[in-house]
Amino acid sequence: MKNSIPMPQIKEERSLAYQLISFIFSVMLVIFFGSIIVTRVLYSRVMLDSQLDNMRHLVHERIYLIDGILEKVEALARTSQDLATNHRLDSAEFDRYLQNLLTDNSQIHSICLADQFKSKAAPRVMYTLRHRFHKREIKNMDYRYQDWFQIPYITGKAYWTEPWVDHEGKGEMVISYSLPLYESGLISGLLRFDIELKYLQGLITDRSYFKIGDSFLVSSTGTIVAHPDQRLVMNQSLFSLAQEYNQDALAKLGAAMTSGENGLVKIGSSSPFRDSWVYYQPLSSNLWSAGIAIDQTYLMQEINLILLIQTIAYIIMFLTISLLIYVRAMSVSRPLKALAEAADRIGSGDFNSQIPQSRSSHELATLSHSFTTMQTSLKEYINTLRITTEEKNKIRGDVIYASEIQTKLIPSNTAHPFGIRDIRAHGILEPAGDIGGDLYHYFLIDEDHFCFVVADVLGKGIVAAMAMTMVSTLLPSIAPFYKRSSAMLGELNNFLCRNNIESNFVTAFLGVLEISTGKLEYSNCGHVPLFIRKLDKSLHTYRETHSTALGVFENLDIGCDTIQLDIGDELILFTDGITEAMNVRDEFLGIKGLEKIVNNLRSTSPEDTAKNILNDVHNYARGSSHKDDITLLVLDYKHPGIGIND
Amino acid sequence: MMKRSRELLAYLAMITYLIALSACKSGETSERSPHMHQGASGSDRFEIRFSPKWHPQAQFAGIYMAIEKGIYDQYGLDVILAEPFSSEEALTKLDLGEIDIGHFDLSQAILANRDSSHIVNIGQISQKNSVMLVGKRSRGISSIRDFNNKKLGIWRRTSHIVTEAFIKENSINIQQIPIDWSVNIFIQDAVDVINVMRYNEYYQLLQAGFSEEELFIVDLCDWDLDIPDEGFYVRPAFFREHPEVCRSFLQATIDGWLYAFSHPDEAVDLVLRIMQDANIRANRAHQSWMLEKMKDIVMPSASEIGILKREDFDKALDLSVKYSNLDRKISFEEFYPYAAD
Repeated sequence: MKNSIPMPQIKEERSLAYQLISFIFSVMLVIFFGSIIVTRVLYSRVMLDSQLDNMRHLVHERIYLIDGILEKVEALARTSQDLATNHRLDSAEFDRYLQNLLTDNSQIHSICLADQFKSKAAPRVMYTLRHRFHKREIKNMDYRYQDWFQIPYITGKAYWTEPWVDHEGKGEMVISYSLPLYESGLISGLLRFDIELKYLQGLITDRSYFKIGDSFLVSSTGTIVAHPDQRLVMNQSLFSLAQEYNQDALAKLGAAMTSGENGLVKIGSSSPFRDSWVYYQPLSSNLWSAGIAIDQTYLMQEINLILLIQTIAYIIMFLTISLLIYVRAMSVSRPLKALAEAADRIGSGDFNSQIPQSRSSHELATLSHSFTTMQTSLKEYINTLRITTEEKNKIRGDVIYASEIQTKLIPSNTAHPFGIRDIRAHGILEPAGDIGGDLYHYFLIDEDHFCFVVADVLGKGIVAAMAMTMVSTLLPSIAPFYKRSSAMLGELNNFLCRNNIESNFVTAFLGVLEISTGKLEYSNCGHVPLFIRKLDKSLHTYRETHSTALGVFENLDIGCDTIQLDIGDELILFTDGITEAMNVRDEFLGIKGLEKIVNNLRSTSPEDTAKNILNDVHNYARGSSHKDDITLLVLDYKHPGIGIND
Repeated sequence: MMKRSRELLAYLAMITYLIALSACKSGETSERSPHMHQGASGSDRFEIRFSPKWHPQAQFAGIYMAIEKGIYDQYGLDVILAEPFSSEEALTKLDLGEIDIGHFDLSQAILANRDSSHIVNIGQISQKNSVMLVGKRSRGISSIRDFNNKKLGIWRRTSHIVTEAFIKENSINIQQIPIDWSVNIFIQDAVDVINVMRYNEYYQLLQAGFSEEELFIVDLCDWDLDIPDEGFYVRPAFFREHPEVCRSFLQATIDGWLYAFSHPDEAVDLVLRIMQDANIRANRAHQSWMLEKMKDIVMPSASEIGILKREDFDKALDLSVKYSNLDRKISFEEFYPYAAD
């Protein structure tokens, strides 16, 4: 029958290939994230710097362009101011001069002259429309409260206005450079040069130029005057957007831009400048500032591309490595599996099963070799084991035969041995193994002499059994010649000394009962005491020995005693297997223990006495691993109960 | 069936006509009133031509809301918004009958009645003065004493009796520069101090990058000069002829304001749309601020909506007597027909 050990439940995921791949995956994942972070941190700074340069360059160029226009208009205005103040041109001459300026400089949208303090002429605005020159007198005096007039008039300084609509001129939104005209140290009028806002807006919001982001222009109050998103233009300032979208960054940007600073700032997502970087720089001619907002995603486009490529590269690398590991792991695990199958076959008894030989790696070759060696050793070992087992079985058979023979040497229990009415006997022999070294025996020497013996051969097993056999066969044969107990044991002693190869000694108690008189002669050679249980249940213990154990010293002087048995006396003979019975606490039963057991007996026949004692001894020794041969022989003499139960 | 319907309509028209006739005390016209016209719902509605005091902004959100939500319609009114005019122009237009209801500040309206009863108040929308004087701390202004020998930009087109009173009562020697509505003159340091409305120009300054800490602010309300601003005014004759129309107009406008205050986002959306259509610069933050401030102005408490309080009138009259040489004693009852209510 195949004696197979169940395979432990190991999941498929714990296969060699799986473990290697998951290990490599974990390592690669760590490396991947590390490299992604490093790349992002390092490159984003580099990219940002590079884009910042780009933005700076773009903004600077536009500012240069706008400043060029504004400065030119400023210069023309100042020249005109100088002409009007210092060269005493009359009104008509100055108007002609301004008309020429308008015609020659397309950047100038219109010119307004309010020199009524000097010339008494009405304020007038000049412009060209469809290549025709127009001059219109301003009738509504409200112009005096407009910024372009009032601010330079009060401050005496030139002023760039915020964008406004000149309803007296072309009705377009313009920004104006306005400066006072002086006469004798007093302001004699105001001269205003207008630039169309749309023109400046076009320069800033040119999509073909500013592909990378939204460029914008803010005025000195932070008002957005140019932006690709027309809804913001003139409606919102950076501060109003900051309030509307609750973005402090926009307010800071507004403060920085209106105070002529330049720099870079990040704006959050919830505003028209959604999640972008803004670079800003002031114009040098007025207090305006230009900026460019680049979407964060655009800015990170390149780095995201790099990260994407990096990710794909890692995935490909991982897949390739995984495939290689899988193939390699399979080439290792396949021979391992074959070896495992071969081991299973060997385990189930097929010792000639072919062990697969692998040369794919040194370790596998070694393992295959070890398996082959193990297979050979196993075969030899199993062979030896089989022979040994056969021999053992043979010996065991012999022992069982010997045991049977030994059993047969012992008298079988009958109510009255040899039909002697006055004697009842019951013997029990319980060997510790298959065969034992204890014996009890009884036989008739002649019609009136009944001999009984209990002996214990030192040791156990075959040798002790052989010695016991010798004792049990020798005694009946010599008894008729010696008759006396001491003589019989003396002869036995000499026999044992001569023939005992193993020098096993034997303790023995032998008694010869004269049936007619009840006189018992006995000799105790190193044996345990004799118990005599009287009819009144009193117990007499005969401890004295008449010599040492037999089979040690030749020609031993063995004594004997004689006692007169009373009617009903019950003789209890036993071996030290009884008194040396151990309980679980490793305590011997001892003579006293046995006396206690016997005192408590209520039996009235040797058979009951023997069985009860044995039962009590077994109870005492229950649970103990100690085991010895146990022999018990109980006889009674002329017991009053004899015949009652027969 | 059709015939019966026509008869019924004719009967209803007759009743309406009789009611209108009885409303006209003089009974000089036997024709259908020129104000009456058929509305979209088929019912007759009274046409009101109203001129707000300034261009569209959240200052008038209640009026826009009442139009948008058909509240005037429900009161049987068809309100037509006329161009905003200057006070003087509005008064003339009112005289000429080009508009029916005008929008004036209380002190302006009192002065308009300088010679005789010219206009009467049919509803006081503003309950609180909003004028503030603002100076830059960076220009050395941190107390009203610092106003001395400085330039004050002051609106040239409106009554600034309250500002006058403040200057005179505090003996401030400040040069007054008449200005229009731009705050740039202040930003560019052409004037040192400027008058602003809390709900409007003040916020424009904040949106030009000023912080409250940078500004020294005098809130005239805090100087016992709390003369309320705009209210609705009609000619006394118009009120006599159409008292219910006047009452309905006020009530519908109040309803409009209450709707605007309880639906601020919707109101600001509407204002922004109107401003955009009128090509006026606008941004949400500013109009939201304005609407929020208007709530304090229009409805300081639930019981003070739309009414002119006697003490406000008396205070305004006192100031007019003191600082604008008003020599006619105008009675509250004459000025405010609802005084007895």
